[in-house]
Amino acid sequence: MLRVEGLSVSYGAVQALNDVSLEVPPGRVTAVIGANGAGKSTLMRSLAGLVKPQGGRVLFEDEDITGRKPEDVARMGIALVPEGRSTIPDLTVEENLKLGGMWRSHTQRGTSLTRVYSLFPVLSERRSLGADTLSGGERQQLAIGRALMCGPQVLLLDEPSLGLAPLIVTQILELVSQMAKDSGMAVLLVEQNAATALRVARTGIVLNLGQIVKSGPAQDIANDEELRHAYLGY
Amino acid sequence: MTNFIDYFLGGVSTGAIIALMALALVLVWRSTRVVNFAQLGQAMITTFIALTVRDATGSWLLALVAAMASGLIVGVIVYFLVIRPVKRLDTSGAIIATFGVLIALQALAGMIWGGDQKAFPPPISNSGYEVFGRTWPFSPYDLLVVVLLLVLVLTMTVVFTRTSVGLAMRASAFNPEVARLSGVRVNRMLILGWAIAGLVGAIAGVLVAPLSTLSPTSFDIFLVFAFTAAVIGGLDSLVGAVAFGIGTGLVISLVSGYTDSGNAPVVALVLLVLNLLFKPEGVFSHHKARAV
Amino acid sequence: MSKIRDLTERAPGSRLVTHALIALVIFGILTWFNQVVDPLMSYYLATAAMYATAMFGMTILVGLSGQVSLGNGALMAVGGYVFALTSLNWQTVPILGLPWNALWSMAFAGIGGVVFGLLIGGVAARLRGPYLAGLTLGIAVGVPAIANRFPELLGGENGLMLQVPYPAGGYASVDDGFDEEFIDDGSGEGFTEDEPIYEELPDEFFEDAPIDEPLGEEDMLSEDDFLTEDDFLSEDDFVSDDDMLTEDDFLSEDDFLTEEDFSTDEGFDAGVDAGGDDAVAEDEFIDDPGVGSELDLAGVDSGFIIEQWQASVAVSVACIVGFIALNLVRGRQGRVWQAVRDDPVAAAVSGISPSGSKISAFVVSSLFAALAGAVFAQILSYVGPGAFALGLSLSLLVGIVLGGRNSLIGAMIGAVILVWLPEFVLSLASDRGWEDQVTNNAPNFVYGLAVVLVVLAAPGGLVGGVQEVVKRVARR
Repeated sequence: MLRVEGLSVSYGAVQALNDVSLEVPPGRVTAVIGANGAGKSTLMRSLAGLVKPQGGRVLFEDEDITGRKPEDVARMGIALVPEGRSTIPDLTVEENLKLGGMWRSHTQRGTSLTRVYSLFPVLSERRSLGADTLSGGERQQLAIGRALMCGPQVLLLDEPSLGLAPLIVTQILELVSQMAKDSGMAVLLVEQNAATALRVARTGIVLNLGQIVKSGPAQDIANDEELRHAYLGY
Repeated sequence: MTNFIDYFLGGVSTGAIIALMALALVLVWRSTRVVNFAQLGQAMITTFIALTVRDATGSWLLALVAAMASGLIVGVIVYFLVIRPVKRLDTSGAIIATFGVLIALQALAGMIWGGDQKAFPPPISNSGYEVFGRTWPFSPYDLLVVVLLLVLVLTMTVVFTRTSVGLAMRASAFNPEVARLSGVRVNRMLILGWAIAGLVGAIAGVLVAPLSTLSPTSFDIFLVFAFTAAVIGGLDSLVGAVAFGIGTGLVISLVSGYTDSGNAPVVALVLLVLNLLFKPEGVFSHHKARAV
Repeated sequence: MSKIRDLTERAPGSRLVTHALIALVIFGILTWFNQVVDPLMSYYLATAAMYATAMFGMTILVGLSGQVSLGNGALMAVGGYVFALTSLNWQTVPILGLPWNALWSMAFAGIGGVVFGLLIGGVAARLRGPYLAGLTLGIAVGVPAIANRFPELLGGENGLMLQVPYPAGGYASVDDGFDEEFIDDGSGEGFTEDEPIYEELPDEFFEDAPIDEPLGEEDMLSEDDFLTEDDFLSEDDFVSDDDMLTEDDFLSEDDFLTEEDFSTDEGFDAGVDAGGDDAVAEDEFIDDPGVGSELDLAGVDSGFIIEQWQASVAVSVACIVGFIALNLVRGRQGRVWQAVRDDPVAAAVSGISPSGSKISAFVVSSLFAALAGAVFAQILSYVGPGAFALGLSLSLLVGIVLGGRNSLIGAMIGAVILVWLPEFVLSLASDRGWEDQVTNNAPNFVYGLAVVLVVLAAPGGLVGGVQEVVKRVARR
């Protein structure tokens, strides 16, 4: 289980995260929502090891992994799908996938690859083509697929809906939610599109200006009109 | 017509060597986005080491092995001492640093081995094959050079495109952040890139030494040739480096044959200028070389 | 210092005056220095001034404009060769005396630099970092090689000898044992107008000797050929008492320098006996300028020291170029260059053409380099591909990196380092008995390491480092 305690991150004079604490339990989706600039991406990047926090701790299975390098964090079982497409256009689809999880055994990787191809058939069709031939939605699938190749216990999804048609977004998120339930993987989902996020998540956490303003069952947050007006823009 | 064939053949082994040096430059560029102008200085030092080993043991093979080993080591040393700290700063800092290393290496070689031209004896015959009663400008040694080039290029292509390590190295060059997130130890891949480049450059140095003389500055002109070939092929492209390395060697040989051997640097310069004017990102590349 | 800056900020016209004052003051100091030191130091001063001239251009190109270029050695070659060629072939009738000739040649050298600067800049200014460096590397290696391609015109591998006109009258040329005048390659080049050797030989020398004809009177020995009394030694030829050394001839206490002699200039110039007949006159001191050749002064007034003249030329050029550089660097153009370097997109949006700005940096630095090359030619009295090889370009780069690439003062410091370090190493070497190959390469080894260290630890060079220290001290 991934646990965050009192995390604080600042970029120079700007405080991006202020004393943030949360839990990411296995087998379900936890959504972090909030307006632009609320600090959501900063949170994800700190958890993945791309940004070093100024204060607080990140614990994974009771081990302090604060400030570890991203490649080490990935190898421990926490995989980030960053904002933006984050695929490598110069490589083929299959190469992009095989980039993930190189430290795992041959059989493990084979199993994961088969699984990814069955989850995302489009990728299987285009496996030998360059990643630059994929559409936006397909590239998002590829990015998630690569993260899944790492065999993660925790999947961090940073704004997967950006630039994608709502239908595709829903498809992907429901897929991910199902995966979480089936495999016991913990999913932390960061989204600007709060409505969609809350539909697939069990728990919702509202972030504003680097601080948590509300945390609880996703249903409740979705139904709380005042909250939605104040922080979520709908 | 025979003249043409002569010059053509004469250029093949030179072209092969330029191809190897261009390959080293491209390897380093692809892994760290730095053009290592000190590459040929490193190759020069490893060739001197090889010469010393050869003089001591009489074995060319041992000398080659010594060159390869020292090539790996020197490549890694330069990376750690110079490139890793500098990369954090700016592009011009990295460029200046590699020139600093080049100057220091040339001076070091001068201090240890002296500045005069030294001879490096070839392992097998360097005189042309006698075919149809004629001596052709292609010798058993030239054949060895070409064969070694093919072996090296084939090996590296296989490693880069079909192994996990190769994939990791390519990914580390294209997008280090994504590579990291996928669990790739990017720093190690960078070191590996430099080590391999050092290895390739060292081999090129040992191969070219018997074709002329060896001195601290004798590889300067090759730096220009290798850079020209690498740029024309596109700094990202291994294939381009090889193809245009050989091509540059052929062109130089042809021009030298038909006009005068001293023209070689001017030819390289002209090729470089033409390429940078019209297709600076190179023939095989995706990326941009122009700022404005 | 900031008060001066405030003053100049308020009134641009006065900025020009301030810069002119600075240039004049430096000129004055260096000229005085030139007059009082011995010729060897004058030679160092000349060389340092020459380097500084080229390096002011590097400061603008590499520092302010951020374009790492190795081409300036080649541009010095352009300037040097243009100067040499125009001096040798376009000897116009002197109007006000000989210096006019040199000025014209320098002007042409400058024009050559500008033209080449435009050509190179046109291509190079569009390129990014390593591509630019690589292209200029090719230029640095390729351009001197061009000299080999046209041996008749450009002197080939051996280069061209110069005759540098001096205001005291007459010429001086460098004779390092290789007399070009004796080589007749049919082109008419190589013969200088003033010393046509062959004319001194009598015409009969060239006429075919009549072998078959019988010996005539001229061939026979005559009275003149025989020894006469005059040819024999007489008493006068032998040493007598008068010739022997006496006490007076030996040095006594009076002859030695005392403290009083040291406090005046005369003590140095006059040698052992201040003001006496034994005093050695200035013109009798002819020092080896370090080029390894003998200076052949023809028809030059005594009291004229060639190194001082070279130094004054070099210093004058350096001060003028420095003045121009100062105005550019501290003015709007300097800010434009830096803006394009730091953020070309923002600069373009503000209406500045990034490529135009880069090209202008190239042209300016090429002009300076060409002028420096012309001065170099005068110091060496020679141009050749070896003098302008890749090492020269690398030295220029090393100089500004060590001194501080964003500052003109850094360029000057770099020039001093380039002149001082090899001499320092030489003296170290003779103290410790190093081998030649170590001594010759030690300066470059130090340069290489120093450059890497500076880039890593103190990117602003010496000047940058000092500025950092001052900042930190000021903060307290």
